[in-house]
Amino acid sequence: MMPIWTKSGEKHAVTLLKVQDCHVLRYVSKEESGGKTAKLLVGGKNVSPFSKPESAHEIFKEAGVPRKQKVTTFNVTEDAIIKPGTPLYAAHFRPGQFVDVTAKTIGKGFQGVMKRWGFKGQPASHGQTKTHRRPGAISTNKAAKVYRGKKMPGKMGNIYRTSFGLKVWRINTKHDIIYVNGSVPGHTNCLVKVKDSKLPTYKDCNKNPPFPTFFADGDEELPEDLFDEEIFQFTDPSVTFA
Amino acid sequence: RVSSDGKPPKFQPPPKPVIIDRKTQKEQSRFLSPEFIPPRGRTDPLKYYIERKDMIQRRKVFNIPEFYVGHVLAVTTANPHTSDKSNRFVGICIQRGGKGLGATFVLRNVIEDQGVEICYELYSPRIQAIEVLRLEKRLDENLMYLRDALPEYSTFDVNMKPAPRMDHEEIPVNKLQVRMKPKPWSKRWERPKYNIKGIKFELPERKMQAAQKWSQPWLEFDMLREYDTSKIEEKIRKELSEELGK
Repeated sequence: MMPIWTKSGEKHAVTLLKVQDCHVLRYVSKEESGGKTAKLLVGGKNVSPFSKPESAHEIFKEAGVPRKQKVTTFNVTEDAIIKPGTPLYAAHFRPGQFVDVTAKTIGKGFQGVMKRWGFKGQPASHGQTKTHRRPGAISTNKAAKVYRGKKMPGKMGNIYRTSFGLKVWRINTKHDIIYVNGSVPGHTNCLVKVKDSKLPTYKDCNKNPPFPTFFADGDEELPEDLFDEEIFQFTDPSVTFA
Repeated sequence: RVSSDGKPPKFQPPPKPVIIDRKTQKEQSRFLSPEFIPPRGRTDPLKYYIERKDMIQRRKVFNIPEFYVGHVLAVTTANPHTSDKSNRFVGICIQRGGKGLGATFVLRNVIEDQGVEICYELYSPRIQAIEVLRLEKRLDENLMYLRDALPEYSTFDVNMKPAPRMDHEEIPVNKLQVRMKPKPWSKRWERPKYNIKGIKFELPERKMQAAQKWSQPWLEFDMLREYDTSKIEEKIRKELSEELGK
């Protein structure tokens, strides 16, 4: 995470996400998958092929791509289909866009009810016998049972969670890095899925995105860094208020 | 040595003279700002490389002078709420924290009997000028104890003129021992954890020895805490000198 300043001098915290060896693996049509839209399987981050059996390598061999650590699905419309085997780059996103970022949260192991659900516990003194971090009562007398989904101690973390509506401030095309506003679930160097935001406020914010994706062998020559309009770039002199 | 045959011992040639080259020694002791040295952790070094590129870019446009804890600085920042849209503050640097773009330094001064500390970010675009008014290092790297010292040690004239700098070589170390206000202090500065050399402790001997009870003499021998930054520093110095020389 890194600080970023706007032209008016305000500071925002920003997370850096690297797009590492992402390739489209397979196209699944609407009828085949049984859903409402077609799907594209995308894999990220190359990993050694020797730790899995040959049967698991079929998808990667068809696409002509080394084995990937993570394979995810994206629901796409018919006009956004990409041929399997095409690499995906950070330039697929543009500054000023809003994204949702999904990742597995940091695993905390087996945790008690105070940390996991934020219960208040009991006082430390004034006669409490062996009861300081316990849940207390778990149901009423009339119910005569414990409801399903009762908040109790258990394994916390290591589940998929999404941060919605994060603004993209800057894109580095040379190293394929996306600068996303705020924090993102997961530990450092964990794998993360970045999608266009589904929030209704940001439905029309993306004006001229590279569609279906940014192709590196195309005619477009992008500069090394793409900035949002409001970012203070370090090539400018210090901010002065008129 | 005992001679084997009764003959005189074998001729030992005298040791070769060690030549200390003054020029290379000078280059080795050049200053590297502490926020460039990456902390120990599992982050990808690419992140520090990219942050360093931004920091170098900012340094090309805006001059950040070399300064240590104990220097007296004057900082002008842009402020939309004042009439001339800028704000000047003079103070002694008591702490330099943070790594990368978020590096900060805290300036302290006593204005009209009120102690004021301001924490500035080195790379913030609102800073318009940093001037070094007095160059002197102190015995410690963290002068937070000035909060509990007598106010005369933290007062600096707001209209101070920059002191003329004699050589471009050594920065003088001020071995000033500061006198403290009566206890209680904000932190127990006599404890060995803070390792403060710049306070003239006027506490009785018994209290000083009782404070040594919290000493952890094994810490300096703990090998897992060692972080050798010499090679990283060399690489970063090379990178900096190339980029800033352009």
